[in-house]
Amino acid sequence: MKVHVKAFATFREVMDSQFDMEFPEGASIYTLLAELTGRYTGLGDLMFAAPGTPRDFVNILKNGRNVHFLAGLDTPLDDGDVIALFPPVAGG
Amino acid sequence: MAVLSKEQKERYRRQIAIVGEDGQERIGRTRLLIDGAGGLGSMAALFAAMAGFGTIRIIDPDCIEETNLNRQWLFREADIGRPKANTTAKVLHSMNSSIDVEPVTAAIGTTPARDLIRGIDLVIDGLDNYPARFLLDDAMWKCGVPFIHGAVGGFYGQVCTILPKTSPCLRCIIPNPPPFREIPLIGVTTGLIGCVQVTEAIKLATGTGLPIIDHLWLWDGIRQKSDQLKIERIPTCPVCGKDEYQIPTGVRVR
Repeated sequence: MKVHVKAFATFREVMDSQFDMEFPEGASIYTLLAELTGRYTGLGDLMFAAPGTPRDFVNILKNGRNVHFLAGLDTPLDDGDVIALFPPVAGG
Repeated sequence: MAVLSKEQKERYRRQIAIVGEDGQERIGRTRLLIDGAGGLGSMAALFAAMAGFGTIRIIDPDCIEETNLNRQWLFREADIGRPKANTTAKVLHSMNSSIDVEPVTAAIGTTPARDLIRGIDLVIDGLDNYPARFLLDDAMWKCGVPFIHGAVGGFYGQVCTILPKTSPCLRCIIPNPPPFREIPLIGVTTGLIGCVQVTEAIKLATGTGLPIIDHLWLWDGIRQKSDQLKIERIPTCPVCGKDEYQIPTGVRVR
């Protein structure tokens, strides 16, 4: 299956802004993050507090819904998903 | 219904051409709260005052520091040490003496949000941290008052408008706050995002165009590119997923 990945804000300093990825059936958000952190040096430090534990303030949206409210890293990927990754900017 | 004076028709002639006299009257009747007189808030206050928002309540607990001067355009070197809210009010009065400006030296969190927003029609987010934004998001949702979120970091920024009962709320999009740290900021980004927020305020006040309610508008100054990120309301969101709010006593609901 194919999913479209979009990255925003400081994530763009370590990875491409948007691209497609192919996954086998059964893949999850965790599968996607593992693939991305292997592909982009520096993304792991931004994304994870410890191996397998993403920083809770990193936002991962599946088709407009934050996976925090879905099944977190276990949220399954589906063909045609748009996955957005962004750390919230906080200043004012 | 207030009718524009001859002087107001002349002062706002160029924007009446866009929003009409009725739209200008609506702007004049709108009571706007800007929470934070920092980079976002100072730019938002400028254009809100120039546009003729009838009441601008500006809230900030802090005094002006030297490090503010790279982006908080309302303040001068001689203002260092003075309260931000009062200093902002003086500048806005000097720009447009026909509007009411209410400075409040206080912070959401230490002062109940429902007290700070009493009588307000519309709120602009000029805050610098998410715990305070979440308090405001919750209060706005419960009181049914639109909340125009904005935030910045470096060359990046984001805006969305939260319409209670209609759009996703801030917690739907960003459920957890990032850890507090000194955020790199540059005046061009805070100015741009503050302008987008006031654009939203003018649109909401006049019924012009479509507010940013079904997506997060993201600005990337490094690449000079903006994006729209689709967002959806979360049924289990701790703020807007519960449909059981009670209207706080004394808070006007529109």
